[in-house]
Amino acid sequence: MSGVGATRQHKHNDPHAHVIHQPGRRLMHAVPLHFVWRKVAGHGNRGVNANLNLTAFIDFLITIVVFLLMSFSASGEIGVDKNIVLPQAENVESVIEAPMVAVNGNQVLVDGQLAGSVRAIEDMGRMQKIDELFDLLKRKRELWKSFHPNKPFPGVAILQVDENVPSLVVKSVFQTAAYAGYPNISFMVKKRGKPTG
Amino acid sequence: MGGVDVGEGGGGGRRATNADINMIPFIDLLMVTISFLLITAVWVTFSRMNANAQIPGPPNPDKEVEPQTPEKILHLHIHESNFNLVWKQGSTVVSESTVGKPQGDVIYSELAKKLGEEWKVHGGHQDKSDKKIDQAVLHADNRMPFKEVISVLDALYDTQRDMAFPDGSTKKVPVFNMTFSVR
Repeated sequence: MSGVGATRQHKHNDPHAHVIHQPGRRLMHAVPLHFVWRKVAGHGNRGVNANLNLTAFIDFLITIVVFLLMSFSASGEIGVDKNIVLPQAENVESVIEAPMVAVNGNQVLVDGQLAGSVRAIEDMGRMQKIDELFDLLKRKRELWKSFHPNKPFPGVAILQVDENVPSLVVKSVFQTAAYAGYPNISFMVKKRGKPTG
Repeated sequence: MGGVDVGEGGGGGRRATNADINMIPFIDLLMVTISFLLITAVWVTFSRMNANAQIPGPPNPDKEVEPQTPEKILHLHIHESNFNLVWKQGSTVVSESTVGKPQGDVIYSELAKKLGEEWKVHGGHQDKSDKKIDQAVLHADNRMPFKEVISVLDALYDTQRDMAFPDGSTKKVPVFNMTFSVR
């Protein structure tokens, strides 16, 4: 509170007289700054406080929520081996629940369990029955039958095959699955949009 | 802020009937829902394409086997530069045609068109009430990459027909069912 009047002499008995004193002159006191006051208070011109209309924003958010809920799908949750690049196709069907046989560049896997070597099939140079794959699929079929004794076995298996795997390997896996009781084979693909026009 | 205005009120010392609804928690809820849905969204959708190994079922000992006329089957040979379409009835060749193979292209639209035309002429199961599907046997080279097999399969399944189901509904199904040649 130091100001110009701080040096004045006060001749009374107030114990705070040296601290509290009459306000004196202020710098820029003569400048009215009316425009600042008007701006802040909103008198005459537009005020700085404004109400935002949230209706459009909330409508927008609700539209996004509805769209995302409609497009939410659990079918994409099916695990695909990271080493597999799936081919693309247009004329496809939705994925069903069935044993997954993954074929990447090196291995054949049934639900993540090793069931054969791609190299071994390639080295052989001809179509063959893959014994580990056959045993695993046969065990799965027997397990299914024990859980559903009165139902006919659907015999569906899904093959996740890398796009660069030679067709010799695909045919061997296909034939082995058929021997193991899975004649209805589906190939997993990425869906490609139909060209327009 | 959202508000509810039901006209004049609050006179005579009563509480005003105009009230402000605090929209901030509602906006927060919407934001959280959007974030959750965006994080858990699955952007890549996987699909499947059917094939069948054509394994005959066990014979029924109580039923007498009747000799049947073999059906026409389409044999699709994939060569380096073309596709060969052969319709066979048993061991008899009924028809044969060739379609050029576009190099470096994985969409065989010309093949799909030709397969549709061929099916209209030779296809044995064209009626809506027919539950059976014409067979196509794919003859692919052992070294051919799988993506090419899928492209041919895509062309094979491009032609579709209506099939009536017992519940009265009709569904579009591909006119061919594919199997691999085992030789």
